[in-house]
Amino acid sequence: MKILVPLKRVADPDNANKVKVPADGSKVETTGLEWKPNPFDEYAVEAALRLTENGAQNKVRAGEVVVVTLGPKECETTLRAMLATGADRAIRIEADDDQLDGNVVALALKAIVDKEKPDFVLMGKQAVDGDTNQVGQFLAEYLGWPMATAAATIVEEAGALHVGREVDGGVINLKVKAPGLVTVDLRITAPTSVYSSQTKRDFKYNDGVRFAPLPAIMKAKKKPLDVLKLGDLVADTSLRVIYKKFEPPQGRKAGVKVKDVAELVDKLKNEAKVI
Amino acid sequence: MNKAFDIFNPTEEHQQLRENVRRFAEAEMDGQAASYDEKESFNEALFRKFATQLGLFGLTVSEKDGGAGMDVTASVLVHEELSRFDPALTLSFLAHEVLFVNNFYHCSNEQQRERYLGKVIDGTWIAGMAMTEPEAGTDVLAMRTRALRKGDRFVLNGTKQFITNGPYGNVFLVYAKTGDGPKDVSAFVVESSFAGFSVGKKESKMGMRASPTSCLVFEDMEVPASNLLGSEGGALVHMMRNLEIERLTLAAQSVGIALRCCDVMTQYAVAERKAFGQPLAEFGQIQRLLSESYAHTQAARALVYATALRISPEHRESLGAAASKLVATTIGETVARNAIQVLGGYGYTRDYPVERLLRDAILLSIGGGTNEAMQKNITRDLARAYR
Repeated sequence: MKILVPLKRVADPDNANKVKVPADGSKVETTGLEWKPNPFDEYAVEAALRLTENGAQNKVRAGEVVVVTLGPKECETTLRAMLATGADRAIRIEADDDQLDGNVVALALKAIVDKEKPDFVLMGKQAVDGDTNQVGQFLAEYLGWPMATAAATIVEEAGALHVGREVDGGVINLKVKAPGLVTVDLRITAPTSVYSSQTKRDFKYNDGVRFAPLPAIMKAKKKPLDVLKLGDLVADTSLRVIYKKFEPPQGRKAGVKVKDVAELVDKLKNEAKVI
Repeated sequence: MNKAFDIFNPTEEHQQLRENVRRFAEAEMDGQAASYDEKESFNEALFRKFATQLGLFGLTVSEKDGGAGMDVTASVLVHEELSRFDPALTLSFLAHEVLFVNNFYHCSNEQQRERYLGKVIDGTWIAGMAMTEPEAGTDVLAMRTRALRKGDRFVLNGTKQFITNGPYGNVFLVYAKTGDGPKDVSAFVVESSFAGFSVGKKESKMGMRASPTSCLVFEDMEVPASNLLGSEGGALVHMMRNLEIERLTLAAQSVGIALRCCDVMTQYAVAERKAFGQPLAEFGQIQRLLSESYAHTQAARALVYATALRISPEHRESLGAAASKLVATTIGETVARNAIQVLGGYGYTRDYPVERLLRDAILLSIGGGTNEAMQKNITRDLARAYR
């Protein structure tokens, strides 16, 4: 099985250098930020690795995982981190962030899918920076492929993916035939969330995304990493979504103290009008 | 845009290694540390994960020999990150990786590597090193363990004291006298299955309790001559060379402890505890403890990493290693003590990790050469330039 996993790097929310917006609101200032892979995309890589191995003997690869990202050269750090974790090959599409919207990204990824011909595309359900939740859906539409979004479980049987999708009050079970696209939610990295056809159903993974063993970190730079140009992949790179203005969130206002329950109830009823 | 050189993460590989080890330490080591300290027992299953999940053994072994081919900085950062959450298990890691694997790798021949390296890198075997004796610590050359050549074997007699991983180790690097001169020291690879090998009393310790320590007793223990490392009587050079990375990684452990203690006390004083209606961090006396702990920790950390850049198998740096150990272990103790003071009564209880970290920190001023030995060595090395 061959799986393509698109990745995005996002600003590390734990880093001291937060995203800043200049006074004129013209852009988001990214200088000096620390980057990390979008967590949902990391989960997609973990799911893709699980689908291309026997969990009990995961040193032997039983399929191929190709990771792809769009961005400047520094994004290769994110790709190499995924190669160290276990992905087999990487592709970077040279582009600046302000050249991209969800639509252009999906068009570029379609061109990569046409070239690579994977059985499945696995990706995070959304990136935690823009939270637009568009690329997976656009890509499946452009490819004309079946799609399941926000997968909590994936079990491979006879080349098809059986996807469990958690909703209020239960689980929707979907079967996605190859070639198809699945976006993943956070519970996809639980110990019993993903099974390839080779992994026994009583096998339990470690919870979360696997660690990159040190020897694999050292070998990652020897794995193939191809660089392509956005213009060679997408004919029409015009943006459909234009960001007009950015505003930082309002700071939280100070609260008020109430002297007793009666006053609280009164305020909830008459001021906040929530009860 | 070129980033400035980062002394703590010189390459992308160092950064990735640090991120992986940190995530592992938080997820796997933090939760179990207090109970294994309390029980004074060794978390063997977790120890094996250093090999199976992180591939950390053989860090300084070249890639062609099955290691990662990393440098001293990488070893230092691993010890720092692991030690933040469980210094005791990290000490067992150090005994295996630095005292055995690194040491063995740099003084063994092809046949010896063939026989032992794979087993200690993949974690099948647990390893350690035996230098100290009941009556030979800082004055290591006073060791009494003797190895007498008998045909194609050596016969060893003697006792080794305070051996980390002693009760669990499958293989040890053992120093013994092979002559009457004070420098007639040789090194041997000893398997715990050799006839005449026995494990003595397991020590009950103040700190580092999750790292098993015992004495090893050799009674007419026969060791094949092929297990002699390097030349007969020639062990002092690599013993001293390995002491440098040992002292630096012990110093890194102290830095890890100090970083964690800074974290705990700052969190407590800023966000958890109020007194007289204000957060503790508003009080000048507490500010002194927080700020000095931070500043001293950063100073120790900078010295340790600056020294790490200068140590390699080809380049000795005994002065820097001794200075790093003296500074970092002293600061480690002070900062852990400060953390207890900031947390007050809570710091003295086992509900918070800082009392354990103080108990663990104290060992680092003793093991691998006491701070008094560091003072002596530093003065000796400095004096050379003035004579």
